[in-house]
Amino acid sequence: MKRCDKCNITIITNHKYCPLCHQVLQGENDEPIKEIYPDTISVTRMILPTTKKVIMYLTIISILSLAIINWAGFNGSYWSLIPISGIIYFWFLVRVGIFSKRNIAFRLATLTVLMIGLLIFIDFDTVPDNNGWSLNYLMPLLLMSANLAISVIIWAKRLNYRDYFFYLLVIIVFSLVPIILAFVNIVTILWPSICAFLVAVSILLFIIFFFPKLITEEIQKRFHA
Amino acid sequence: MSNKLTSWFKLDNSGKIFPEISNQRETNTFRIQIALTEEVDPEILQMASLGILERFPMFKVRLKHGLFWSYLDYNTKPFQITKMTHEVCSAINFRENNCYLFKVLYRNNLIAIEMFHALADGSGVITLLKSLVYEYLKLKGYSVMPDNMIKTKFEKSIQEEYEDANEKYYNKKNRKHIPEKKAYRIKGTLLPNNNTGLISGTINTQKILEISRSENLTITEYITALMMYTIYTTQIRYRTHLKSNKVPVKIFVPVNLRKHFPSETLRNFSYFLKTNMVMSRDDITLEELFNLVKNQFSEGIKKEELIRKMSENVAFEKKIIFRFMPYFIKRYALKIGYNMLGMKLNTMSLTNIGKVEFPKSIEPYIHDITFAVYSGKFNTVNCGIISYKDKLKITFTRSILETNIEKEFFRHFTDKGLDVLIESNYVEEFI
Repeated sequence: MKRCDKCNITIITNHKYCPLCHQVLQGENDEPIKEIYPDTISVTRMILPTTKKVIMYLTIISILSLAIINWAGFNGSYWSLIPISGIIYFWFLVRVGIFSKRNIAFRLATLTVLMIGLLIFIDFDTVPDNNGWSLNYLMPLLLMSANLAISVIIWAKRLNYRDYFFYLLVIIVFSLVPIILAFVNIVTILWPSICAFLVAVSILLFIIFFFPKLITEEIQKRFHA
Repeated sequence: MSNKLTSWFKLDNSGKIFPEISNQRETNTFRIQIALTEEVDPEILQMASLGILERFPMFKVRLKHGLFWSYLDYNTKPFQITKMTHEVCSAINFRENNCYLFKVLYRNNLIAIEMFHALADGSGVITLLKSLVYEYLKLKGYSVMPDNMIKTKFEKSIQEEYEDANEKYYNKKNRKHIPEKKAYRIKGTLLPNNNTGLISGTINTQKILEISRSENLTITEYITALMMYTIYTTQIRYRTHLKSNKVPVKIFVPVNLRKHFPSETLRNFSYFLKTNMVMSRDDITLEELFNLVKNQFSEGIKKEELIRKMSENVAFEKKIIFRFMPYFIKRYALKIGYNMLGMKLNTMSLTNIGKVEFPKSIEPYIHDITFAVYSGKFNTVNCGIISYKDKLKITFTRSILETNIEKEFFRHFTDKGLDVLIESNYVEEFI
């Protein structure tokens, strides 16, 4: 036990000075002791790993060169946007799909919605003739497969179904979009939209019939005011 | 999982603000730490914590955001205890902590719980920690008995533990809003990297009780008055001409409302008393402050006043425009409002948890208990008091380098001939 004769306090420590007045402590410890609190470790800033830096560098260089080539030989079309958005999507795929710690339903839902957005963008902004394929085929079919995938995941990992459930609802709501677009004649080929709609409605009805409490609870907690 | 009908909870009224205003510096966490008389075995502690969480589904939650409010949802991930690092009451990284809002820390002979204030207050954590320690000792093979003082893992949780007691005692007719002025801020050199310094002093409970009785005060009143006096002598005296010293010194003292209103809740149920004095004179004495604190505390502890404070906050939450404001806007509204007004209303928070009692069969295994609260950018020095048997432990946490207040505070007791045993995390050594 050590003493500070200025503050008149006793202290059990291996340090040499008084924490209150920073004077030298008197006396020695009777036996070797362990410090009560751990030593402070200075926080080192998170440094990007080299691979991440290299990939980041290559990405920026390729985006820049694509944009410059497009601009230098400009012939009325912004073709470089297609590979650039592809590269950006790749980043999301790595970030959300692989390295995110969020649950798998969230990742699936996010990536599906992003993919649809990207494809619609490519479809309409860059190829002027022959457009509409993204809305006619890809959007409903992608939503349908996401719906089925999340349902299968929930079925397989029953333990965590609560965490996944919200994203299933989100995708189901999105699946209603193609059929609405079909009504206003933006979607011209009907069968994919109808398929997606049917799958979504049957999953929704399945939940309402067999797990009614789940859906009310989810709505209550997300929307309580 | 429990007898709770749903698997999610609303945040209680006082907990609602914490998730939105907390950051790396203003962490709004606090720690209660038990020193056992022997080394802690991490594996057994891990088992004990898993077992005890089944008894307290209220703590087995994660924070999520809805359209209008944040809420607590059942957490499916397993709980994991962590080794204590140098950080005291640091921000809890939910992602690294399997989304739990509290941590169980261990080191040598220490078991500590660091809790995010949105989930529970000191009294709730004491209940949890008692059960954890009991369960740990039981798993270690000691013959310990709960003696009706500890909630064991075989008990069933009761509905009253989840209630939002603030709303229960809300009174529409007594909710007047009284605007407050900015408080004095203790100045100093801010520690880098959001480090927190910790100094605690252990004093004999009986002796400190005698001292405060001789002034006709409770321990909390005595210490609060002494704290004001220490702030005055170290920070303000002979510098009263400065404009920044002409604002009131306000000590924020939480009160456990379970002692005043019947409630079994484990969630937040505490309001506060506040001392308030502009110390712009050169001749303030300690005796004068004793009277001031006594008067202001007896004013504040009146039932009507406590209900008014409670209802004032609940009424704010019940405002229609605020209720139906989407979460992402509400979040920033709360943040900005708190930073402009809420944060600057207290000079220091001084929490007295009071006496913690354990069953006779557990007492031999427990050395002492420490209670510490976070300290931030405005409340640069905070104080937590807890007592166990004859050990009253006063813990200062600080976000500044200077230790004047601690030094003068403890010298007051050593000058009176009391023995003070100091502990420190020696944060100044490592910056």
